[in-house]
Amino acid sequence: MNARTQYRTEAIVLRLLDYGESDLIVTFCTAEFGKLRGIAKGARRSRKRFANALEPFSRLQILFSRRRPESLALIESCDVLSHFPGIRANLEKTFTASYLIDLTDQFTPDDKNNEGLFQLLNDFLRLLEGGPATEGLLRFFEIRLLKLSGYDPVLDHCLVCKTPLGNEKAYHFNSGDGGLICTACRPDSPDALPVSLGTIRMLLMGREMEIDRLGRLFLSEQSAEESRRLLAHFIRHLLGRELKSVHVLNEIRRLGI
Amino acid sequence: MSGYALPIKRLIKELSRFPGIGERTAARLANHILRASEEDARRLAESILDVKRKIRFCSVCFNLAEGEICEICADTARNRSVICIVEEPDSLIALEGSGEYQGVYHVLHGALSPLDGIGPEQLRIRELLDRVAGNVVEEVIVATNPSVAGETTALLLVKLLKERGIKMTRIALGVPVGGDLKYTDRMTLAKCLEFRRGV
Ligand SMILES: [Zn+2]
Ligand SMILES: [Zn+2]
Repeated sequence: MNARTQYRTEAIVLRLLDYGESDLIVTFCTAEFGKLRGIAKGARRSRKRFANALEPFSRLQILFSRRRPESLALIESCDVLSHFPGIRANLEKTFTASYLIDLTDQFTPDDKNNEGLFQLLNDFLRLLEGGPATEGLLRFFEIRLLKLSGYDPVLDHCLVCKTPLGNEKAYHFNSGDGGLICTACRPDSPDALPVSLGTIRMLLMGREMEIDRLGRLFLSEQSAEESRRLLAHFIRHLLGRELKSVHVLNEIRRLGI
Repeated sequence: MSGYALPIKRLIKELSRFPGIGERTAARLANHILRASEEDARRLAESILDVKRKIRFCSVCFNLAEGEICEICADTARNRSVICIVEEPDSLIALEGSGEYQGVYHVLHGALSPLDGIGPEQLRIRELLDRVAGNVVEEVIVATNPSVAGETTALLLVKLLKERGIKMTRIALGVPVGGDLKYTDRMTLAKCLEFRRGV
């Protein structure tokens, strides 16, 4: 029998699943171990042991052990680094954080170094904790996450004629091809979404800019609408389905909130 | 499980589907049933069927009920203008155990959890809104659990009901009676200080 090896790492809680009578199976996002699944024994029976730490989007220091990389980790203890109380006290921020978590869960590889995505999630939770839940925050998270996970859409030239961005005022975005097509190349593609030059420039800026300056980028109503449709469509195309958190958010909006 | 006659095997298999019951415990329970009188065994079987046949959700508050409405909603001594919202019938039973509450309840049967796809339509929120619209309601107490899901649900309910002019309150959070501050987690302690009161 292999001996268990113990590890310590920083982790953000992505998902919780009740297991058996009193255990929890927790999915974490970590820098070193990618997406990590572990069991917290007795976490539902005794609140003391894990001290209310195992909650969605809490940032923790965890101590875990496992025999092999592919086996379920045993969570031995965890200390809370941040509960993000500012997010938890605000409905809009909680929904935004849930979406960031859901998306990260979908795009994080299992057990693979994942410094970039972990940092991205951590940075955006920090922005959300300290500032308002804006439309821009969601879009810039999406575009950065796509880049980090290797699904970066082509936004700086036309996929067909390769002409660099800037010659025209309006483009189409085709999710199937993962990029822009200029009006001259395919004006009437049924799947392509129209998108203005201004929106594309905004997304490119949001993708490259320093995280702490993102709060100063404001999306016009047109850019917000166009980029929301473009990225939602592209992400749905990549995942092949709608995210649960998006579905729930739509239900909330129908209540008039 | 080998060595048991087929009907016993079947019973063990059924019992081991209960939460927290492993095969060994299931075998012990099966042996107990085997030794019990036929009368005792029949009472057990009938009580199980009875629960399935007779218990449903109260049409007013969605508590478990025998018949159309539950005992609490049927009790004319309860104050109908105060509604306490809970996640599960278990919470209702716990609050009733305190003996301190004279109002009525509303059971949501869950809490908001976007990551699990649980939204307002999976909970009894529409029914709650209809209920407060058609009745005189002085106060709604939100007694969902102090977890992220419970707090999110509370925030949503406050938003929905406050704009309808209803007085909303949230249950207090603090150190348990007989507890010790040094063993209390940071989040609870922060809430304790936030919700301190004048003495
Ligand atoms: Zn072109
Ligand atoms: Zn009732």
